[in-house]
Amino acid sequence: MVIQSTRLGELSVPKDLVFQFPNGLPGFNDEHTFALVPHGSNSPFSFLQSANDPDLTFLVVDPFAFFSDYEFELKEDLEQELQVKDGSQIKVYSIVTVKDKVEEMTANLIAPLIVNTETKNARQVVLEGVKYTTRHRLFPEGIPSADGREK
Amino acid sequence: MLALTRKVGEQIIIGDNIVITVVDVKGEGVRLGINAPREIKIYRGEIYQAVVSENKEATIPLDIGRLAVLKNIVNLPREKE
Repeated sequence: MVIQSTRLGELSVPKDLVFQFPNGLPGFNDEHTFALVPHGSNSPFSFLQSANDPDLTFLVVDPFAFFSDYEFELKEDLEQELQVKDGSQIKVYSIVTVKDKVEEMTANLIAPLIVNTETKNARQVVLEGVKYTTRHRLFPEGIPSADGREK
Repeated sequence: MLALTRKVGEQIIIGDNIVITVVDVKGEGVRLGINAPREIKIYRGEIYQAVVSENKEATIPLDIGRLAVLKNIVNLPREKE
């Protein structure tokens, strides 16, 4: 699938990286189709690009790569909605907010994206009764540089 | 906006299958019971609104060059559980 992105250019996205969000995202209820574009081959980061709006791009991250004790319960009705047959079909992403300083970027842990990698159905879930918020810093001690030092 | 006055125990019915019951009123707090089909998602307004605003703030600005520093971040092999 060819997707135009103002930020990433023209993208040729394999089908298995195109996901349907039948309800859109909170605040973007009319955006139903997004592609997940890896930021690098071994990176926990990806871009979430709207197939419909070239201007709409999010940075997302594998939350478990940064928050090893992150946990929540998938409700049964969500599993039904996403047609989950087996937990291994599920992948979780968190939307990242980047402000003026990149190292202060935060992940939204209260509203994870839950995707079914088999059926390609997805939803941004707003968790209830959890301690998480919309803003958790990914790099509280700064971004490590290529040689492993913190800068 | 429609404004209705209800007493404890009274209900509001929305459509054919959403029933909201005023369960209790204590000080400034009102406890509501909601019966709705499971495909109707129910959120506390301020939490949902916080997610809406965060999503809007999270849309990436034009200058994605700044994100190049993330190239150094790679997944470490996960510990086996």
